[in-house]
Amino acid sequence: MEWNPQDLHTLSQCFVNTLSPSPEPRRQAEAILADFSQKPNYGLAVLRLVAEPSVAEEIRQAASVNFKNHLKARWAPAPNNSDEPRILDAEKDQIKALIVTLMLNATPKIQGQLSEALVLIGKHDFPRLWPTLLPELIGSLHKASQAGNYASVNGILGTANSIFKKFRYEYKTNDLLYDLKYCLDNFAGTLLEIFLKTANLIESAANAGGGNAEALKPLFESQRLCCRIFFSLNFQELPEFFEDHMNEWMTEQRKYLANSYPALENSADGLAVVDELRSAVCENINLYMEKNEEEFQAYLNGFALAVWNLLTTVSQASSRDQLAVTAIKFLTTVSTSVHHNLFAGDGVIPQICQGIVIPNVRLRDEDEELFDMNYIEFIRRDMEGSDLDTRRRIACELLKGIATNYKPQVTNLVSVQIQNLLTSFAANPSENWKDKDCAIYLVVSLATKRAGGTSVTTDLVDVQNFFGTVIVPELQSQDVNGYPMLKAGALKFFTMFRNHIPKPMTLQFFPDLIRFLRAESNVVHSYAASCIEKLLLVKDEGGQARYTSVDISPVLPQLMTNLFEALKVPESEENQYVMKCIMRVLGVADISREIVGPCITGLTSILNKACENPKNPVFNHYVFESVAVLVKRACGKDASLISIFEINLFPSIQKILVEDVQEFYPYALQLLAQLVELNRPPIPQSYMQIFPMLLSPDSWRKASNVPALVRLLQAFLQKAPHELNQEGRLRQVLEISNKLVSARSTDEQGFYVLNTVVESLDFNVIAPYIGQIWSALFTVLQSRQTGKFIKCLLIFMSLFLVKHGSTNLVDSVNSIQANLFLMILGQFWIPNLTLITGVIETKLTAVASTRLLCESQMLLDAAAVEHWGKLLNNIVTLLSRTEQDRVEEDPEMPEFSENVGYSATFIRLHNAGKTEDDPLKDIRDAKEFLVTSLARLSALSPGRYPQIISQYVEPTNQAELLRLCNSYNCQIV
Amino acid sequence: MADDTTASHRRDPIKSSVGSVAGQRRRQNAITVGKERRESLVRAKRLCRVGTNGDSVDPLDSEMIIDEEQPILEAQTSAAVEELKSAAAHQGKGAWQKRVSALRELRRLLSRSEFPPVDAALKAGAVPLLVQCLSFGSPDEQLLEAAWCLTNIAAGKPEETKALLPALPLLIAYLGEKSSAPVAEQCAWAIGNVAGEGEELRNVLLSQGALPPLARMMLPDKGSTVRTAAWALSNLIKGPNPKAANELIRVEGVLDAIIRHLRKADDELATEVAWVVVYLSALSNIATSMLVKSDVLQLLVERLATSNSLQLLIPVLRSLGNLIAGDSQTTHAIIAPGNEITGNIIEVLVKCLRSEHRVLKKEAAWVLSNIAAGSIEHKQLIYSSEAVPLLIRLLSTAPFDIRKEVAYVLGNLCVSPITPTEGDGKPSLILEHLVSLVVRGCLPGFIDLVSSVDTEAARVGLQFMELVLRGMPNGEGPKLVEKENGIEAMERFQFHENEDLRIMANSLVDKYFGEDYGLDD
Repeated sequence: MEWNPQDLHTLSQCFVNTLSPSPEPRRQAEAILADFSQKPNYGLAVLRLVAEPSVAEEIRQAASVNFKNHLKARWAPAPNNSDEPRILDAEKDQIKALIVTLMLNATPKIQGQLSEALVLIGKHDFPRLWPTLLPELIGSLHKASQAGNYASVNGILGTANSIFKKFRYEYKTNDLLYDLKYCLDNFAGTLLEIFLKTANLIESAANAGGGNAEALKPLFESQRLCCRIFFSLNFQELPEFFEDHMNEWMTEQRKYLANSYPALENSADGLAVVDELRSAVCENINLYMEKNEEEFQAYLNGFALAVWNLLTTVSQASSRDQLAVTAIKFLTTVSTSVHHNLFAGDGVIPQICQGIVIPNVRLRDEDEELFDMNYIEFIRRDMEGSDLDTRRRIACELLKGIATNYKPQVTNLVSVQIQNLLTSFAANPSENWKDKDCAIYLVVSLATKRAGGTSVTTDLVDVQNFFGTVIVPELQSQDVNGYPMLKAGALKFFTMFRNHIPKPMTLQFFPDLIRFLRAESNVVHSYAASCIEKLLLVKDEGGQARYTSVDISPVLPQLMTNLFEALKVPESEENQYVMKCIMRVLGVADISREIVGPCITGLTSILNKACENPKNPVFNHYVFESVAVLVKRACGKDASLISIFEINLFPSIQKILVEDVQEFYPYALQLLAQLVELNRPPIPQSYMQIFPMLLSPDSWRKASNVPALVRLLQAFLQKAPHELNQEGRLRQVLEISNKLVSARSTDEQGFYVLNTVVESLDFNVIAPYIGQIWSALFTVLQSRQTGKFIKCLLIFMSLFLVKHGSTNLVDSVNSIQANLFLMILGQFWIPNLTLITGVIETKLTAVASTRLLCESQMLLDAAAVEHWGKLLNNIVTLLSRTEQDRVEEDPEMPEFSENVGYSATFIRLHNAGKTEDDPLKDIRDAKEFLVTSLARLSALSPGRYPQIISQYVEPTNQAELLRLCNSYNCQIV
Repeated sequence: MADDTTASHRRDPIKSSVGSVAGQRRRQNAITVGKERRESLVRAKRLCRVGTNGDSVDPLDSEMIIDEEQPILEAQTSAAVEELKSAAAHQGKGAWQKRVSALRELRRLLSRSEFPPVDAALKAGAVPLLVQCLSFGSPDEQLLEAAWCLTNIAAGKPEETKALLPALPLLIAYLGEKSSAPVAEQCAWAIGNVAGEGEELRNVLLSQGALPPLARMMLPDKGSTVRTAAWALSNLIKGPNPKAANELIRVEGVLDAIIRHLRKADDELATEVAWVVVYLSALSNIATSMLVKSDVLQLLVERLATSNSLQLLIPVLRSLGNLIAGDSQTTHAIIAPGNEITGNIIEVLVKCLRSEHRVLKKEAAWVLSNIAAGSIEHKQLIYSSEAVPLLIRLLSTAPFDIRKEVAYVLGNLCVSPITPTEGDGKPSLILEHLVSLVVRGCLPGFIDLVSSVDTEAARVGLQFMELVLRGMPNGEGPKLVEKENGIEAMERFQFHENEDLRIMANSLVDKYFGEDYGLDD
């Protein structure tokens, strides 16, 4: 459609309203915009608005954000399950023609949005569908550079940098290389030109007495962007152009590491600007060192020296962390490369240790601040390995790197350092406590992992001795709040080396661990909780848990009290380490009635509070797991306890369902399912109020709820089949399953419901509906031959057969259409039987097929001998060959990532999980069942079957059948 | 029941993403952005300093004044072009002698220095004059000098090479059998330089019909002409479009000539011919299957075994690798274990792995990785050869690019071939090989690759780690991986932009190092 001035005015009014502080006009405007955005040329219209100088800046800003989001949603081809309209090609062409100029001339905030929009387009269209972009950028770049307009230069370089980033992570395919070559051919020369030109400007400013900071800043920013583009363009392999011009590139880059720029560095945030360029240079030389060390070799010494000098002068200030980290990373790469002999020189390693490693490992004021102010971030870095970008960690990585080739030297040196630090601490503990922290940090960080999973070891110190002399004094300190960082270090050491500390010793300090749960420091009580939690997972040789309920029984009340108390400390209200510890303890401890009461009250109140505003998903998950494990273990011991749980949990569950707390919805359903399953029929009336919600199509609309709804429905079908068969509920259930089966993404879920229906209900209950079920399923089968659907259908039919008999199966199918079953058997059942995987599934389908073979009059009829023979053949294949041998890839199979993993919002509660049920518990061995059934059948008409077998069963399967007969001592006569 | 079906989905979540590459052959990328690692000479374009038939060198030229000041040289060049201009305008008696001597002067100037004054010649308007000198019916000497001048102009910068465009039809016309050998060869040289410039000019040459006459120049046994023609052809068929390579192999007699030259020629000629084979086998499936069925494999192996010329070994090894990566069925039939040639191939590859030269090591590992992608018997053959100890050592000590290739070999040795009947993408393990390689210390090398900046190397590393996690007996896999800091290496991918790597790494971590609830009764 064409957008007239009136429309543009409406649009502009909408954007005004989206900024309104009151929700009503805001929502309305958003709704109108959403509506408009369905129309063609909407993006173009918004872009025009963004470009219209007469419109107020804030409206244009809002429009630019909307424009970007519109592109994000509709530029790329639609994902499979979406029918949202796409932006049409003609509109795309117009947008592409306009956007570069608009972006370059926009005010900074709008420029940011348009640049992001441009990158979004580039992701899909660049370069092949957008051949004008790069020439346009290059043209503008030259113009801006000639005019000395660095705001513009940097805007363009920034855009180019974003567009080229894909070369940093995509696989090297011909397509990618084609794109890369295009970019190199067109851009590499210009990039170098700009880089050298800017370098000259910086140099002449430096020569002329330093220049002024404001003028230098954009120049350094420009160089940084050039270096980042250099990184992208060089990532896949060393391009010819860059190899030919390595000297120019490296000479300038080295200067930025070696020189200082006082005029800029002494100005406000000027140092940061220079350091960012230096970091970018370090990334580049690190890349070359890793991948092109041969070509880079000539420059290595110069850079190593520059980096070294830089590191000895880089201060402790946290503002320089990034630089220190990338610079040390470069040295680490060198230390493990073929040129590691740079470190072999006399005194080099001690110098590195003293000059670079120790200063960077020592605690800084910033670390103390982080410890106090942001305990979560501190722990993430200190304990969970998210410290790859911290100085402490990277300094240790450098030591490890050097140790790959110079281990004895490094070990000796560090051992001595550790002793020195401890001596210094002993001389004046209150003054030198950071030395002790440093010593503990070195031991923990340089520990090597041992084969054996969670265990670590070290050859720097004797672990038990170190524990006794260095760690224990901290653990026994009566003041849980004194020197909290040392306490945290000690607890971390205990946790890391937990496998080395003998059980009696650990138990001796267990009360101390519980004591530290009451420490004021969030880090300290988190570490105490984490230590307890991990101790409870320690396994001895043979996989036996080292600590059991007996070991914690004496301290259990105190432990639970302190854990719940810890959750009351400010900032720890949603402490995931404490909550995880609660879950673990409840999983191990002896759950008595005395424990159940306070625990469920405590957990419910936490749960209710979390419902108000779900924040920390990890914490919340452990809350639900804790509830589930408590319910499971308490009721496992004493079924009568269930009413306590019902009384406590129902209000919370109801609140979640009624107020539709999305984050918790699947959890609540799983808890409900767990409670239903723990009940003995008849199910209390209170559960029945769930039905309307469960059976309402609305509940099933959200994909992430479906698995949990299925789970709950299954529980009801099993425990309350009678109730489900009332008031037309069964019909509703079947409608739901029908809907699920008919959509490709949920067909499996639909079968879970159907399976439970046929498993739980008597045939006379199902009989009125079964015809419709078959028609619906066979209709889907005609259009969807995916492996998943085929397997599910075959399993469902098998389950139906073993539950309700072959006659019911055959007759109910044939009631749709005469002889339909025989057709299904020949075209569907027999050929697909060999595709079944999974132990329970294989057994089920094999037994069902065997029963069909030996019971069904239809198959025993002389007219059906071929089917009979082929079915037998495939049963033997199914039972005698491995899955790998008989199952082919199903190209339709969705990638597992669609089902599980990182986007799915459904998270299973481990402790509320369903136990697998074998529907055929009385049949132990499907092979045995096959041959005994065949023997019995053949005895009724001797001579008939051996002949059919020799005609229709493959020779290898005949031999296999014979082997089976022999081993089970049966005979087919 | 129901839940178990879900579980069976999850059981091997990474199987398709991990399995598909290990065990597959990898052809080299048809497009390259890096420098061509051919040899120390600048291969793609060559300056002609000494005449093609050797005897047209003036005594004066042999004492080339290399240090001559560039400005002087340029001034002389401009003057020489002016001289040629007036000579070209000159009609009548002695005209052609005048032209030839003007041409010779210009050619001498353009041949004197490593950096010929091409720019000055072009600015003075040399090309139209030279084209004029190529007109039909001109004496051979004039043609030769003009083509020589053009050759060296084409050896210059890209835009200088492009300046030859008006001359191309005539240069191509003189490639035919009717021209004298020195003229044809000089024209081939000029065309080779033009083709070496890039795809665009190659396409022009191809559309003007340069390929068939050049190909026919390869047929005789005369050394110099064949060498120049082969070199020019190798530039002309570089692609990345396979059309020219397909066209070349179809020219009658070319395959026979290639075989003959590879069998008899000296190292120098064999080198050029081998480069032709490199591009034929890299780009053309038809050529690959024809070459594989001929004696070429055998001849390449013999060259590898007997020569020590790096210049020759590089294209020969690359050709061998391309052929093995290409038509797998035929290749497998020929290099079947037990055939004499198979043992010889492994032997020459071991020789290359031992060589000092990085390129040879890397390419030998690449070839081995493709053989290791073959049948069980191929894997066993490599596994029991001298290659394995070498490879293991290279995996921990060699420069990055070699380590990456070596990783493909060792990884392929540990997975069964994927046959059409069990193509679920998940290769089953060859446990004996896996265990033995891990015991001999391979795992850290692979984990280092996971930590590297290279996405493909990371993928191979992850794939091997998956094999270790899944396959090592007694559940040793996870322990070994954890011990070698494999978890940390994988965690780097937790939020990586490469989706494939992210999913692989995250699912491995989840599957083998996931939350241990420790509550199973």
